[in-house]
Amino acid sequence: MKGNELFNLQELLSRQKLLICFSGPFSHSVIEELGKAVRNHLENERIEKSAIMDVFSVYVEQAQNVRNYTASREALGRPIPANSGIVVIGKEDDHYVVSSGNLVEADDVPGLSAMLEKLRGLDKAGLKAVYKEQSRKPREAGASGAGLGLIDMARKATRPLEYSLRAVDDTYFFFSLEVQL
Amino acid sequence: MDSLRIEATSCSPLIDFDPAAGLLRIEGESYPENSFDFYAPVFNWLEDYLKAPAPAVVLDIGLSYLNTSSIKCMIDVLEMLDGAHQKGQTVSVRWHYDSDNDRALDMAEEFAEDVSLPFEILAH
Repeated sequence: MKGNELFNLQELLSRQKLLICFSGPFSHSVIEELGKAVRNHLENERIEKSAIMDVFSVYVEQAQNVRNYTASREALGRPIPANSGIVVIGKEDDHYVVSSGNLVEADDVPGLSAMLEKLRGLDKAGLKAVYKEQSRKPREAGASGAGLGLIDMARKATRPLEYSLRAVDDTYFFFSLEVQL
Repeated sequence: MDSLRIEATSCSPLIDFDPAAGLLRIEGESYPENSFDFYAPVFNWLEDYLKAPAPAVVLDIGLSYLNTSSIKCMIDVLEMLDGAHQKGQTVSVRWHYDSDNDRALDMAEEFAEDVSLPFEILAH
């Protein structure tokens, strides 16, 4: 990357008060190592353990969602353009914000936005009820997750989940998700 | 029946099941690459074991963090044990948590809500 591009990128990142930003292939070891780094950093900041665990767990759910979605499309023989995922942890005033972005297939957009709109409309009690309902469902064969990640993030968030879905081309949308803690 | 032991890693817990003593320990953090693959041997072992378990079985859990797919696996483990309890076997859960980790307590309480077997939550 050219020096001035790198400068612009770094400037953009530092304006956001980022703790961490990763874009590239989400392997399990990357997810794990970045997670450890985030925890170490937050422990040094001397914030409460419960707050550290909230940031860490939302980060893990987002990163594993990106990774699992990418792996599932690959298994279907429809690999997603490489390295299109990103996870960012930043600080706004006195609270943390964990965000992720990744390409999703256009066919998945209606289901995804319906799910997020549903979660955005629920209060804490409603979210707990949806969580319990989902957690009792039998696992889907071959699924890598339990379908609990988004609900869990919504429960930990202090504000409704923010998201956007922007068409990239005929096949893909860029899905972004922002969780305020 | 053989014991089941899986050593802990930084993202998966220690599994140490002693069939004769009826002591089943799960300890550490759980966010493995694929939770269902990781817990598959646990489910298989339990399914066999619960056909003829020790007179008293204790599931001793010290999990400080679980991702959501591990939570689902733990719900399934607890349901298996709860089934044995409902059939009249002596099965209980002891859930240990670090007293400065509120989230671990919240999690333990939510697990306890869904089962009828004796469920003790112990702060350390």
